[in-house]
Order: sequence, then structure tokens, then C-alpha cells
Amino acid sequence: MPQTDYDLIIIGAGPAGSTTARFAATAGLKVLMVDKRQELGAPIQCSGAISGHGLASAGIDADPEFIHEAIYGFAIYDEHGNRKVHDYRQLKADEYGPQAGKKPLGYVVDRRRFDRYLMTQAERAGVDVWLKTEGLGYRPQEDGTCTVSLRRYNEAIHLRTRVIVGADGLQSQVGKWAGLQTHIKITELAGCLQFIVDGVETEGLLEIVTGHEWAPGGYAWVFPKGHGYAEIGLGVIATMTDKPARWHLDKFIKRSFFRDRFANCRILEVQGGGVPLAAPLRTQYADNMILVGDAARHVNPITGGGLHTAISGGKIAADFLVGHLGDGLPVQGGALEAYQLAWLAELGDKMWKLYGIKTDIFHNMNIGERDRLLYATMSDYFSPTSEFKKI
Amino acid sequence: MSKLQPVLFNIGWNACINCGACVAICPQEAGFVSPFDTIAVDRPCDIACLLCEQICPVETITHVPVERLNGSAVAVDR
Repeated sequence: MPQTDYDLIIIGAGPAGSTTARFAATAGLKVLMVDKRQELGAPIQCSGAISGHGLASAGIDADPEFIHEAIYGFAIYDEHGNRKVHDYRQLKADEYGPQAGKKPLGYVVDRRRFDRYLMTQAERAGVDVWLKTEGLGYRPQEDGTCTVSLRRYNEAIHLRTRVIVGADGLQSQVGKWAGLQTHIKITELAGCLQFIVDGVETEGLLEIVTGHEWAPGGYAWVFPKGHGYAEIGLGVIATMTDKPARWHLDKFIKRSFFRDRFANCRILEVQGGGVPLAAPLRTQYADNMILVGDAARHVNPITGGGLHTAISGGKIAADFLVGHLGDGLPVQGGALEAYQLAWLAELGDKMWKLYGIKTDIFHNMNIGERDRLLYATMSDYFSPTSEFKKI
Repeated sequence: MSKLQPVLFNIGWNACINCGACVAICPQEAGFVSPFDTIAVDRPCDIACLLCEQICPVETITHVPVERLNGSAVAVDR
């Protein structure tokens, strides 16, 4: 193979990029990861929930550096406030709990600290990380490598690499550079808003509120955020309402069955984002290029959760690239389809199945039936007997 | 080419939470972004689908129509 500056250049230092980088460098690849931001994780566009086995899937310890609060189960509400609780402290009392010898089911993490922690682990594994560095484009070369154009503190830099990894989030430009069909339908991108609040009690459970009345096309949530704080948020589908998420969140706080519980809440932070409730990208590779994380739409279509899928997918990408580049195989002419096939087998096929379930619910035009279906599906999804507990 | 008239977007920065939802929904080609991780506000959008305005969680994107000359929108100097 021709000489290159790096084996991999990764655009975006979020959880997917950092996990890909860490496993690739640990296995001996020469890796550069860049991020245009000055501070990772911010502005926060995510609720921060991740399961314990999600962290374990990518070899990440539950470090107090990034954990806001431990989670022990779920409470799913219908539109009237009736709820189904799956509290693993009771369901599997010998395994889950706050006591010594037991463990949490999952965590709510601080995305600023979490992303920085994962970047640090990548750097310690040998990855070069450049902040304040933006990717501008890349061009496959006839010798099988590609050139990547970067801008670092206003300076133009051109580097040669074997593979560029697009880990640049839902707003991914890397996929667009390659001409991939990355456009997401307005009916499948939830506009989300959440407040970090003081003055709202929580009980170690992720609370999920279903019902068209509160969050048309999506759901509302109340998550514990540590230090006595909580996060209250929701996501809506724009075609199912003529009001923005902010209007719905205001209504949820002031007029829902939680209005007394929220009566004294004080807003500490405002966060938002677009959350795909969609299928993974059909094509996640091109010549010299693969996509990971939100950029590949590796997001759970039912929950909108993207942390577990990002870090699991990052490990899958790294394992693939280490083997593929180690064997000296080509990275052009469709050769990187093998990455997508590996990802589908390990994770993607399950996500496609979830997408089918989600689509069936929201294609039902009867609001009452749809509400019942969503409540039943969510209640089942988080139960200990769900076939989907692995993602 | 869209039959719609091109538009120039305006973002009320006071309400913008830099969430990136407008860029995520935008069907424009790569690079139609501002330095603040929103859709571009310094050149016209000739698709004018207005999905960005629809998805914005804080309803802070508006637009003004701009003229199309010689088959392409008049771009402002950048």
C-alpha cells in the first residue's frame, strides 16, 4: 500500500468517533480524530441515557467522572397518567440495586464529561486528536488512498489516509460529500426540547410519557439527572402538529397530569435537537469512507436512543477496519460494503425490525388506537422479557 | 429545479439553541450551513421546502423571498 499520513481520519469526536478511534488505535492503526468544536458534548442535544450493557459492549467503565445518576428501571405512562413500572430493583433484586454487590441497570450521563472521557481514552490508546479542526472534504485517489482537507485554527491542511470515518452526527456532511442519500423525512425526525430542572422528584427510573395529547409523533420524558435535578423533555413530529416542541413542552409542564409535580420546577438548562425515529441509512459506505453513529443514523427508532448504538457501532467499525486494512484489502470499488454487512449482522438487523414496529404504530391514523399501541409497545420494550433488551 | 421562489433564511439567534435540527432535515447539498451549526443564512436557498422552519423546536427560523435571475438565484457576496 502507498504511504499515508494516517490509516484513519475520523471526523467528529462524539461517542461513535471516539470509540472507533480507541479500538482502532489499540489494535495498532494510526488514527487522527478531529472535531470542529472547542469543547466536546456541547451544545447538548441528548438526554444522556445509556444502559449498563451498552457501556460494557464497548468496554467502557461506569466512571463517576461522567455519570449523573444511576438508573434502576422504567415507568411508562399512557396519556392519562396510568403507568406500567419495570423496576429492576424488584424484578431482579439479586442483581440490580444500589447496594454493594449489585449494579445499576443503566445511567444518565453528562454528555460533556462523557464525550471528553471517551476522547481521553482514545488519546491514551494513541489517537491524535485535534480540536478546532473542521473537515472540508475528501477525494479518493487512484493509488487507493484518499486526501482529506481540514481547516485547523483557520489553517488549511491536506492529509492522506486510507479511510475517512464520518462520525459527524445527524447533520453529517461527510455522507453528503460522498453523494450518499442521507436525507431524512420530516415525518421521521423528531424536534426535541428538554429542560434540566430543579425541584422535581425522581425515583431512579426513566419515565416515558406516551400519548398524542402530550407529544404527537414522539413521547415525553422525565429522567433523573443527579444532584436532585431532573430533565423534562419531549419530541414531536412536525407533520403531526402545527406547534413547535417548545409549545408542547410548556403544555406538558403546565397542563399534564404532572402539573402538580412540576409546579415548583426551576429551569437550569435548555437543550434540544433533532432525534431520528427512522431506519438506519441504507448505504453507510463509499470509496475510502464509512459512516458511524448518528451520521449513519445508528439510532434506536423506537426510543430515539443513540448512545448505545453509537459506541457499539463504533466498536464494530473499528474491528472491521482493523481486519480489513490489516489484510491489505482495497477500500474502493464497493469493498467497504463489508463494513455495513458486519454492522447489519451484529446490530442493524435488529434496528430494522424496530423500525418496522415503529412504522406500524405511526401509520395508524386513529389517534386512540395509536396511543394504545405506543403505550403497549413501550411498556413491552422495557420489560425484562423483551426480545430487544440488547439494544 | 424547484418551481418555488428562492428564499433567504433569517435565524432569531436569541431563541436559537444550536440544536442542529435544521441542518439535519435540510435536503441541500453539503455546506449549506452557517458557522453556528444552523442552515446557511448568507445565501439564498433555491429548494425553499421550509422543512427547517417546520422542525425548529423553538420556532426561530423565518425567510424572505429573493428574486431568481437567469435561472439561478442571485447570491449575495460571501
